[in-house]
Amino acid sequence: MEDEKFDCIIVGGGIAGLSAALTFAQNNMKFLLIERGEYSGAKNVSGGVLWGTQLAELVPNYWEEDDIGFERYIKHRRLSFLDHDTSFSIDFKSEHFEEPPYKGIIVLRSKFDNWFAGKVQEAIEKSDFADESFLATDILVEEVLKDNGKVVGIRAGEEKFFSDCVIIAEGVNNLLTRQVGLQSDYVPADYVATGIKEIIRMDRDVLENRFQLDGLSGMSNEFIGLGATMGVEGGGFLYTNRDSLSIGLVVGLKDLREKGGNNELSKAAKKRREDNKKPLKAQDKSKNIYDILSEFKKHPAVKDMIKGGETVEYSAHVVSTGDMRVMPKEIYADGVMIAGEAANLLMNSGKAIQGMDFAMQSGVLAAQAAVEAKKKKDFSAVTLQKYRTALEESFVMKDMRQFQSAVHFLHTPAMFSTIPNLVCDFGRQFFTIDNTPTEKTSKMLKNSIKKYSSYSELIKIGIKGARSL
Amino acid sequence: MKELSIAERLGMVIYRNQGKSEAKAHIEVDTDICNSTCPHLCTTYVCPANCYTIDENGEVHFQFEDCIECGTCMYACDQDAVTWKYPDPEEGRGINWNFG
Repeated sequence: MEDEKFDCIIVGGGIAGLSAALTFAQNNMKFLLIERGEYSGAKNVSGGVLWGTQLAELVPNYWEEDDIGFERYIKHRRLSFLDHDTSFSIDFKSEHFEEPPYKGIIVLRSKFDNWFAGKVQEAIEKSDFADESFLATDILVEEVLKDNGKVVGIRAGEEKFFSDCVIIAEGVNNLLTRQVGLQSDYVPADYVATGIKEIIRMDRDVLENRFQLDGLSGMSNEFIGLGATMGVEGGGFLYTNRDSLSIGLVVGLKDLREKGGNNELSKAAKKRREDNKKPLKAQDKSKNIYDILSEFKKHPAVKDMIKGGETVEYSAHVVSTGDMRVMPKEIYADGVMIAGEAANLLMNSGKAIQGMDFAMQSGVLAAQAAVEAKKKKDFSAVTLQKYRTALEESFVMKDMRQFQSAVHFLHTPAMFSTIPNLVCDFGRQFFTIDNTPTEKTSKMLKNSIKKYSSYSELIKIGIKGARSL
Repeated sequence: MKELSIAERLGMVIYRNQGKSEAKAHIEVDTDICNSTCPHLCTTYVCPANCYTIDENGEVHFQFEDCIECGTCMYACDQDAVTWKYPDPEEGRGINWNFG
């Protein structure tokens, strides 16, 4: 296959790359997809819920197959405010979520991406290029090749592969996007977070009874407040898989750098640096990322949900926050397009964490732009700009632009400490019956506001919050 | 549930090329920077795989073998001490997720 020139090379066999590949197979394009993992999904980590119904367009009736790629569909959603010992939730369960195509499915990437790759392979076999398009795994692309400023192919080890265009769908740690000059060489921690997660296995009957699930129905639970992230920007999540739970945190990296600290040993480091011109400001308190996860699992509300389970996997991955300031300068150039989280297409608006649906949509749109470029026999930036235009007109960029202020609002201290504290404190008063005269609800609210905030602060938060929605 | 130590958590991770005596490092850290001018040593508490540690003398050490390819240190280090690449499928380390 080395001598052959492809219409397109896709770097990365995650959801964005596979969605592009499926679009190519359906449009008789000759392509090569290169995945660095042993199989698609081997390197991927997500929460994770794939929101939206687009999968049904790419793989019609995916829920009717014997070998389904997803764990459960979302029927029950819950947002919980946590302080140190209390949980106050907004809980929503509806038959409206019952009918396929489902509005959200819970997935485990190692299984889902592998299943999705199988669907792409089936589509390749039905295309005109059944023997000339490939899904290649276990190969690391180290360089994107350029000729006269135009991208012409890739290099993996000693081998070079050439194509009319390249779709970079390498994920958030977008080294190739940086190499082609669309992203800065150093991306600061400001607008990224780290997701950290455990898979907790549980007897299927126990899990279904505990979470009141029926058949393949599932629940998503998000958490904010001190009980989740110990005052660090971010939040927690819990999703029900078929016979396990995905539980974890997403923690703002810049805030963790400022608020975290090492154990006793940092004192030694501090002492060592005392005479130095550059003293160490490291904090003595012990707060590292995996200890925050341990504390979250010990929260009374969370502890009861995971009781009796057994952790079978521990994972972590950097994740974009949805703040557009981190995005690449542009998502196309001569002969190249950037799709999925390589373009930081991901958003936590407070309503949901969307990333996999953005990956799917952007992969399809990038592929469609390449199909059109082939017809025109022009893969220059002028033609590939169509990808940008289409993405701007789609829900991906419309929602990201629409919810920017919500994203910023979610990252204010009010949202991960003040509000959850206040809500939990009010709940404790409101739901406590203790044979003493009960105060009026308005007085209870006033008590909680005085304790954790002030009316003026709340008004400011309210205005900011209202504007962001 | 019993609280898990970081060693127990990493014990569940399936690393690649475990049979090879020496894997090729995919991350290089200039610990001279950590040990002389870095004001926060943040990698020692933001890395989810505890690849950055401080010894009794207060010196920072790095090992790539336990790395789970999350990318955190590449962003968190603002002192230009971390050079981050993906592990080589054949010669490098890195992970294979069972669930992901």
